Amino acid sequence: MVRLKDRYLLVNIVYTDLPPGQKGPVPDLLLYNQPTIGELKPQTILRGIRSQVNALFGDCGSGPVERSLQVKYLSTATSTFILRISRAHYRLVWAALTFMDRLPVKDGRPCIFRVVRVSGTIRKVEEEAIRRAKLLVLAAKDEMAGKAPSDALNTLFRGGKDAARNLVLVNDDHEDAEMDEGEVSDG
Amino acid sequence: MDSNQKQAASGKPPAANSKKRKEAPSAATGNNKNQNQNQQQGKDSRPPSSRPQKRVKFQDARNIRSQPSDAALDSDGKLDLQKFLNAREFEIKALETSMRKCKAANATRVFQQVPREMRRRTASHNAKRVPKRLRDRAKREMLEDNTPTVESRKRKPRTTRARIRAENAKRLERLAAKKRKRALEKDKAGEGETKDAPGKTTIRTRAPRPKIRRDTLNEPPKIKSKFKKRQINKTWLPTHLWHAKRATMTEPTKPLWRFAIPMTPTQKCYRPTHRASGQKGTMFWDTSYMSTARVYGTAGGIEQVLKALGLAQESLWGNRGRKWRAGTRTWSGMVSRQQGSSRRDVGPATILWNPTPTDKTSAPESSTAEPKKIQRQVLIRTHPACFLELFEELVRLAKLQTPQIHVEDLRFEIGSIELTGPGSTETLLAVLQPYHTDERHGQVFSSLVGVTNPASLPKDAVLGFSVKDPRLSYPPKRVDTASKVSDLALLETLTQWPVEEQVKPYALFDRDVRFKASNLPPQKSINRRKGANIPGREIQVTAADPPIPVIVFASRPATGGQAQGTWTLLAPWKCILPIWYSIVHYPLSTGGNPRLGGLNEQRQIAFEQGTAWFPGDFLGTNAGVVWEMEQRAQRKAAWDRRPKGKRIEWASLDLGAGRKGEIGDGLACDFEHLFGLSKDPSSSSPSSSDSAGDESMTLNDDPNAMDVDQSREEATAASTKSGKDKDTLPSLATVQQMKKTEFNALISSKDSDSSRPPPRSIIPVNITFVTRGVANACARIYRLPSRPPSPSATTVPPSSTEAEVPATDPVAAGKVGSLPADLRDQWLQKLPSSNSSSKASKVSHAAPHIPPNVDLSTRKQLMAKSLLSGNPLPYPKPSSVGINGGDHPLCPGEEDLIGFVTAGAYSLSEGKGTAVGAISAEKALDTLKEFGAKEGRLCVVRNAGESVGWLGRWEVI
Repeated sequence: MVRLKDRYLLVNIVYTDLPPGQKGPVPDLLLYNQPTIGELKPQTILRGIRSQVNALFGDCGSGPVERSLQVKYLSTATSTFILRISRAHYRLVWAALTFMDRLPVKDGRPCIFRVVRVSGTIRKVEEEAIRRAKLLVLAAKDEMAGKAPSDALNTLFRGGKDAARNLVLVNDDHEDAEMDEGEVSDG
Repeated sequence: MDSNQKQAASGKPPAANSKKRKEAPSAATGNNKNQNQNQQQGKDSRPPSSRPQKRVKFQDARNIRSQPSDAALDSDGKLDLQKFLNAREFEIKALETSMRKCKAANATRVFQQVPREMRRRTASHNAKRVPKRLRDRAKREMLEDNTPTVESRKRKPRTTRARIRAENAKRLERLAAKKRKRALEKDKAGEGETKDAPGKTTIRTRAPRPKIRRDTLNEPPKIKSKFKKRQINKTWLPTHLWHAKRATMTEPTKPLWRFAIPMTPTQKCYRPTHRASGQKGTMFWDTSYMSTARVYGTAGGIEQVLKALGLAQESLWGNRGRKWRAGTRTWSGMVSRQQGSSRRDVGPATILWNPTPTDKTSAPESSTAEPKKIQRQVLIRTHPACFLELFEELVRLAKLQTPQIHVEDLRFEIGSIELTGPGSTETLLAVLQPYHTDERHGQVFSSLVGVTNPASLPKDAVLGFSVKDPRLSYPPKRVDTASKVSDLALLETLTQWPVEEQVKPYALFDRDVRFKASNLPPQKSINRRKGANIPGREIQVTAADPPIPVIVFASRPATGGQAQGTWTLLAPWKCILPIWYSIVHYPLSTGGNPRLGGLNEQRQIAFEQGTAWFPGDFLGTNAGVVWEMEQRAQRKAAWDRRPKGKRIEWASLDLGAGRKGEIGDGLACDFEHLFGLSKDPSSSSPSSSDSAGDESMTLNDDPNAMDVDQSREEATAASTKSGKDKDTLPSLATVQQMKKTEFNALISSKDSDSSRPPPRSIIPVNITFVTRGVANACARIYRLPSRPPSPSATTVPPSSTEAEVPATDPVAAGKVGSLPADLRDQWLQKLPSSNSSSKASKVSHAAPHIPPNVDLSTRKQLMAKSLLSGNPLPYPKPSSVGINGGDHPLCPGEEDLIGFVTAGAYSLSEGKGTAVGAISAEKALDTLKEFGAKEGRLCVVRNAGESVGWLGRWEVI
């Protein structure tokens, strides 16, 4: 029996500017992890990605992506969504997300789409989302308690992992340059 | 990314596509779509059929709830830390519930939940096949999924045969009804008569005791007429019906050694077998096919017979063999028979003396004349493949003795079960409960609680006692290891082994006791007693329950070391089944039940322990030759079945250096080729070609020779012809097997001329691969080629750079057609000890490792240095395996072929490839004498049909 093989992409939308109407200084944590406007629907995301894939890879790329791309979860309050795409083409989608620089709605705000986890099962993606949300909760609690300003960028990009360990990881990566095609996690 | 793609990206603005379709009407939340769908489906499926319902359920489970963006903002639409926190917490909760719901609503059916060994194909169609607690769910699921069900009663017969059967059944039913009716009428009519004769007594006759004739083969047990047709050319094991449902048996038309033997369980079990036999659990086999014979007569006569069978070692008949002769130890080893001027191995046998009562044995033994006259008995247990040969030899030898001693064939009288693994002792202890509490051997056996390896018992220890019917205490209870006597006591038992005092003759030797034990009360009466009993209490033994005589003995693997030993349980043939059922259901203390094994598992365990398995690995015996011939035929048939493009063309195999074609027959352990024998048996003996052809046929399917239906005249005729047997065997049968002790003696002897091994003699070896490689059966074993006498090759020391150079110039080699002169050195370089130098040379190529915790500038410098320093890594990496152009050494030439592998695989116990095979004793001896004990044992093993060989090391077993 042939099993359909998929990849699940956990994507964060990251903002760098203040929302219109907001005044005064905002903690970094809030700045980067802003909620997204409610106009962003699964369909609009799909449309945005498809058009981007079409622009980058032409019909050849947009064909397979169009067929299998699906939004499994979209939370505008936390600016997180999960995409499902067939295993053979997830790199096209990832590339398209990298090249998208604003929300695919009318007068969309500038933002970046960060793919934080690629996995073969939705379960692992969900676990990663939970882990990240927990980190953010801890950071926010620190912020509220008025402790030393937490390293918001580190929480965001490193996923809270130890910085020193990352250096070592980079060194290791240098040796086996070929990335595994299986699960990819940034870090 | 390509520049082309970039251009495409710039050429088409991303917004262009979004005009295609108008935006969908927006709703408040992101997951509205799914909810809408759910509602729609709910409306669509007005008569709620199960399928859409199920889909709704799954969609609901997979849906992850999410909040609108307002939830993360405060009332004026500003960013707020508290709201931010709440939004994240909501997300965590939503994802967790989703994961939980998804797991609960999984798509597995109930029959997939039961353990794997219980899962049957029918369970998906028949709810009654799943355990009771799951039956309701199974029924519901079948209804939901609209599973087609078939009631076997209402199924129409499809084939002609089935139709005839059904008609027949119907007719019989009618007949039975008529008969019942008539009986009823007769009863009514004759009621008065029965009252008239109250004193009518019934005479009970005892069941006939099976006959065992002296000096001839025994008849198989009387078969129920229901199963008679299926056992025309074979005999079923006592546990056949049990096995046939759980194991792959030998093919109905091709029985093995005239038995239907389980080959392997239907379940996949390669790795579980490894675990159960060595680390945790128990493996067990019904080895009732193993043949036993009893020899009885004067002690002196028996001694002469045994000596003639090759038990001539001084240690057996001197003081060291005293325990064996007293009957408290077994002897296991190869028995042989005289053939012309040399001896030929028959097969492995276990020999056990029946002890004489202590009051007699205590006094003599030292006095010479008296003990020779004592009537003694010996049990010889051997493999069915060599039984006929051994039995005929026994009968012949027995007739030579004065006063004559006699041989009894106990093949269908005594059955056996073998167990191995850490839990085997525990299992036996639970199942075998001594019948008499005062029996010494029974007491010793019961005190073995806590033994986890049968090999830890004294070597070849035997215990003979009587046990209760295991059905009385069925189901078997777990042995209480906590309440056992201290470890010290156990240790003392194991070292002292107090079995010699008050030793009694083993009851299993006694025909009457065996017969009495065979008449166990029926299961019905046991059930009735159990019903009358208080629940949970064991049934008491009554006079109706005969004691079952058993003999258990432990044996160690030939290699010794830490490997698990084996328990062998001998019991009357008819008592095997009740014992078997209890063993099957014993709950091991480490969890699970004992695991079933077949013939393949027996071979696997022998292979993992590095020992040879009879008959497959004993090419020097007639049984081994027959096995090999059968295997050849099977391999040939499998090869013939494959399409031409997908099978190995032996002639076009390229061995490098201009050598073409496989050496000998690729589908055989071709010792005929090695020793230069002719393959055709008839051509070797043209004078008796007519009869030889017939007899070689009977040998090729040996089961026929074992035919018990064959008349006595025929049997005697065969025995008289046994002198001619040598001619009838294929020429492979002239190959002899050498013993390890003899071979070691040859090695240690300095005089090279007088001590040559006999021509065409082989020794079994165990091969371990030094680096990598896995051998299959029929793989070729080469010794390392000797260096040619020219000085140039020997003076050049093997340098590390040579490892990088191709072993041969393919073009030149093809032209010249000769092996490179330094082939031996090339092979020796493959040894891991010399590998360190080649590894060092490889490291120099690699970029220098950048140590962690260095600052960025030094890191850059190091990187730049490594980039500029030249010799880049070759890309793609040159393959290490490649006969042409690779750096793997070529296979040695045909003159260095020394033997063949009979069994090989990746060994789970060693963690690398190992093999069992046989090599020519003469060539092995030469190599050992020339290159010493260490280098002489190196060999190259090449699979048949492959051109790459791997370095291995052989050890004699």
